[in-house]
Amino acid sequence: MNTAVEIHHLVKDFRTPMTRKPFRAVDDISLTIKTGEVYGLIGPNGSGKSTVMKALLGLVRPTSGSCQIFGNDSLRVDSRHEVGFLPENPYFYKHLSGEETLRFYGKLCGMRGKKLQTRIDELLELVSLDKARKRRLGGYSKGMLQRIGLAQALIQKPQLVILDEPTAGVDPIGSRQIRDLIFELRDQGITVFLCSHLLEQVQEVCDQVGIIFEGKMIKEGSLEELISVENQTEIILQDASPELIAQIEALASSEAQVIRSGKPRTTLERLFLTATQSNSSQPPS
Amino acid sequence: MSRLFSFHRMMVISSSTFTQLVRMKVFYFLVVFVLAILVAHFFKLPHTSGPESSAHEELRMLKNATIGAMSLFATIFAITGTALLIPKDIEDRTLYSILSKPVPRLDYLAGKLLGIISVIFVAMFAMDLVMTGALELRSNKVMNEVLTSAAQQGYDAEATEAARQEVLRHGSTWSLQAGVLALFLKTVILASLALFFSTFSTSTLFTVIMSFVVFFIGHIVGDIREYLELMNNGETSIGSSLTKAVGIIIPDFALFNVTDEAIAGKTIPLSAALRLTLIAVVYAALYTVISWFIFADKEF
Repeated sequence: MNTAVEIHHLVKDFRTPMTRKPFRAVDDISLTIKTGEVYGLIGPNGSGKSTVMKALLGLVRPTSGSCQIFGNDSLRVDSRHEVGFLPENPYFYKHLSGEETLRFYGKLCGMRGKKLQTRIDELLELVSLDKARKRRLGGYSKGMLQRIGLAQALIQKPQLVILDEPTAGVDPIGSRQIRDLIFELRDQGITVFLCSHLLEQVQEVCDQVGIIFEGKMIKEGSLEELISVENQTEIILQDASPELIAQIEALASSEAQVIRSGKPRTTLERLFLTATQSNSSQPPS
Repeated sequence: MSRLFSFHRMMVISSSTFTQLVRMKVFYFLVVFVLAILVAHFFKLPHTSGPESSAHEELRMLKNATIGAMSLFATIFAITGTALLIPKDIEDRTLYSILSKPVPRLDYLAGKLLGIISVIFVAMFAMDLVMTGALELRSNKVMNEVLTSAAQQGYDAEATEAARQEVLRHGSTWSLQAGVLALFLKTVILASLALFFSTFSTSTLFTVIMSFVVFFIGHIVGDIREYLELMNNGETSIGSSLTKAVGIIIPDFALFNVTDEAIAGKTIPLSAALRLTLIAVVYAALYTVISWFIFADKEF
C-alpha cells in the first residue's frame, strides 16, 4: 500500500502581537495515511486539527517538520493536483450558481469543455443538487452549501480528499448523505482525511483515528484496536425466546461475569432517519 | 508540473471577479451617468452674441462634467473595489478552496487585479461612447449656430474657418480619447496600489485610506521634487534624494493630468499617450510583483 499523506514532526507556532512567546498550535505531530484509507483526526475545538489540515494544503507554513502528499512537499502547488478540500463552514461565491461554482473550480484545475461539463453533471447528481444547479449559492441552505463544497472538492477526481468538519451544522439527513458519500469515495479507493469532533460519525466511517489534544497527538491507531474492549464479548441474537436467553445467561454466569443483558438500543439518529424517511414516502394527507 | 504563472487560470479568476462585480450591480452607475449626460446635454449657455463667444464653452462644460463623472467612478471603484476583494475572500474562506486547488498565488492576485481593471475598462468604454455620442450631437448643433452667426455678422472665409476649427477642436477628438486613456491608466495604477496594500493590511479601511493618501502624494510629488531642485540649485541633498526615492516608488500622478489639457481642447501627441501607457504598465507590474512577494508568504 502506498502512502498518500506523510506528516513528519510537524510544529506550528503562531506569533501573537504584544507577546514575546509564540502560541504553539501544533506540537510535533507525525502521521501517515495509506492510500485508500479513511483517516479521522479528532479532538476538541482549538486542538490544532484545522492547522494540521492547512499545513497539509500549504495554507500555513510549518515552523518545523514537513508535510507530503503522494511524495510531494505540500508547499508546492503541484501537490494540490491530487487533493480536494472542503473547508469548515464553507462559503463560496454567492453570486455564482451551483453549476457555475463547479465550472469555476474545474477550470482552476485546468479542466474544460465537454469533459468538465460531464463531470459537473455527474457531481450535481452525486450530491443531489441537480435541481438547484441554476440557483445562486446565496439562496442555498447550509446543507446544500456543504454538499456543493464536497462536489467542488471532487471536481478534478482527486486521489486524496480532505474534509474539515464535513457535517458541522448539517441536519441528520444531510449528515447521512455526506457519510454515504465518504463510503462511496472509500469504495473507489480514494483516500479521505477528515477532522471532526463528532465522534460517532468518525467511528462509523474511519479506518484509522488520531486523537489530538492541545496540539499533541495523544493516541493513534486503527479504529478496531482503539475502541474494542479486549476482555469483553458481545453476542446479538434475533428472535431469541426468553427461555433461550435465560439458558445462555445461566451458562455464561457459571464461566464468566455477565455485565449486561437486554435489548440493544438504536441510536437517536437512526430513529430520526427511519421516522423521516417513512414519513416522506407517505403521500401528504 | 504547474508553471509559475498560467494565463488560463488567471483569466478564470479574472472573469469570475468580473462576473462578481457585475452582479454586485456596479454598472448601475452607468444609468446615473447617462442621466447626468442627458441633463448636461440640455443645459445651454447664452452664447448667441457671436461666434467668438462662449460657444465652445458649452462643449467644454459637457466634457468636464462627463470626464469628471468618469474620474469619480473610476477612482472610487479602483480603490474600494480592489480593497474589498481579497479581505472578502479571506473572511468568507473562499480563498481556502481556491488556493487548495493547483493555483499559484500570483495567478490569483493577477486574476483579481485584471478582473477589476476589466470592469473599469468596460465602464469607461461605455461612458466614453455615451460622451462621444453626446459631444458629436452637441458639436453639430453648436457648429450650425456658430456658422449662422458668422454669416449674419459678415465674417470672411478665413474668420469663418477659424471659428469652425475652434468648435472642432472642442468636439470629439483623438486627443480627447487620449485624455480618457490617461484617466484609465491612472486608475490601473491605483487599483494595483490598492492590491498591494490589501495584501498586508488588516482592514479594508486601512487599504482605502492608504491608497487615497498615496494618490494624493502622487499628485504633488512632482512639484516637491521641482521645488527641492530649485532650492538646491541642482546639488544633491538628503531631501532631494529622499524625494527622488519617493518619486520612484510613488508614481507622479500629475503626469496623467493631460486629461485636463484634452478637455481644454489642446492636442495630446501620440508619443505622450505611449509614454503614459508605458509608465502605467511598469507601475502596475511593479506593484503586482511586490504584492506577490508579500502574498506568497501570507498564512491563512
